[in-house]
Amino acid sequence: MNRSNALIEIDDIRKSFGIFEVLKGISLTVGKGEAVCIIGPSGSGKSTILRCINGLMPIDSGSIRVGDHRVHELTSEKAMRPLRHQVAMVFQQYNLFPHRTALENIMMAPIQVLGHDKREVEERARKLLKKVRLSEKADSYPGQLSGGQQQRVAIARALAMQPDIILFDEVTAALDPETVKEVLFTIRELVEEGLTCMLVTHEMKFAREVSHRVCFTDHGRIVESAPPAEFFDNPQDARLREFLGQVL
Amino acid sequence: MDSVRTYENKKRGVLLLIALAVITGILVDAMAGGSEQWQRVAIRLPLILTGSGSGWPITGGFALNIMLSIASMAVATALGIVLALATLSRSAFVRIPSLALMNFLRNSPWLVLLFAMLYIIPFEVHVFGLSVPFPPFVKAVIGLALPTGANLSEVIRGAVQSIHSGQWEAARSLGYTTTQIYRYVILPQAFRRMIPGWMNLYALLMIATALATVTGIQDVLTILNTSLAMESERAIVYFYITILFLFFAYCYPIAVFARRLERAVKGDNL
Repeated sequence: MNRSNALIEIDDIRKSFGIFEVLKGISLTVGKGEAVCIIGPSGSGKSTILRCINGLMPIDSGSIRVGDHRVHELTSEKAMRPLRHQVAMVFQQYNLFPHRTALENIMMAPIQVLGHDKREVEERARKLLKKVRLSEKADSYPGQLSGGQQQRVAIARALAMQPDIILFDEVTAALDPETVKEVLFTIRELVEEGLTCMLVTHEMKFAREVSHRVCFTDHGRIVESAPPAEFFDNPQDARLREFLGQVL
Repeated sequence: MDSVRTYENKKRGVLLLIALAVITGILVDAMAGGSEQWQRVAIRLPLILTGSGSGWPITGGFALNIMLSIASMAVATALGIVLALATLSRSAFVRIPSLALMNFLRNSPWLVLLFAMLYIIPFEVHVFGLSVPFPPFVKAVIGLALPTGANLSEVIRGAVQSIHSGQWEAARSLGYTTTQIYRYVILPQAFRRMIPGWMNLYALLMIATALATVTGIQDVLTILNTSLAMESERAIVYFYITILFLFFAYCYPIAVFARRLERAVKGDNL
């Protein structure tokens, strides 16, 4: 891919927690409309990569460009705002705001952060709830929803910001197998609509079916990166082969 | 029989036994001449409650203790919020001095603080030609509000820090600034969690208002001490028991309610 056309461009980023180096020089480019899955063992830095992309975690060295934003040069939360508008994130633990209803969770940020018109946002929020098939749960509080339902509200909340990119951080890891399906179905729709997605996941089958490219991280490095068919059927790296042998 | 001897049943049984013992004690005592003493207490009850013999107007007594506790709690709440925000500040120049002040106040005996306020705060202050008087009541309010506010700031800080870090992450990823996160996400949730602690502190503060007698205000203890000069030694016991019961009757329901709220709040996590 032509690097300058890429929507996300990560170049040799490093990040340490204390003496533990989580990312040891990660480089990655993601094009517009591409869905990239990151898989790998726990503690290999998968989630950290996502958090660095939207500036939740500062990096120690290297550079990150998202659209026109040079993420590593943004210092304050306020300066991050346009970036956060462009990049939304969905978390493993949903992290909905428990004191607000599902509809309010979706409407809050577009009104309070982006300053959009309330009526227009409500219309948008109801459409999104319909899209994730939770229209009847608009007035429920997160505590009254199942894990899968909460996660779909969280996806709708991310979409309400009208982002160009969504980062999914192990969004099905806390769900039971039955509800995993409904969440993955929603994500698949988004990918098919051409939204740029980066997913950290343990769902190998899903990664294979949905993504355009799969990356394998191990000990803070991207060891292998290939289209799913090649990645799963003909893995080059020994560690990846071992990993796939264990999980498949 | 095993099902009957649960913890709850045992607890109820013991409480019932204690209540019976107290009632029997009072009855036996009343027959031994105690009823005469209780009558003396009854005659003085309006004075003890309101500070005036006829029960009106309210000039002191137990009513003054209640007013003092409410005024102190209002000041303590304002102080607690400011201190809590200061101790949560990211700037070390704000955080460290406020942490020091908070710990100092939290570890001072309340009675000593009251005495200190009595002498530190002047009788009146002249500002721009205006003279603002500081009557003993105001000194008592400030003296009690200082330690309560410091303790409250810990309650608030604890409630704020008990909010799951995922809430911060989610709000930041949606583009909220730190101030907005406090306003829209953290404080609305923390507020519910601090109410039980706030009520517990209020009950403690109400009990501590008895200390304010050292400032010379006409609170229930001052009034009692003046009127006891005319009473027999035996009657004194009955008067003190009455006062103890007044405080118990006022504070215990608050503590029970706070505990119930605490249990209710614990369940609503995420």
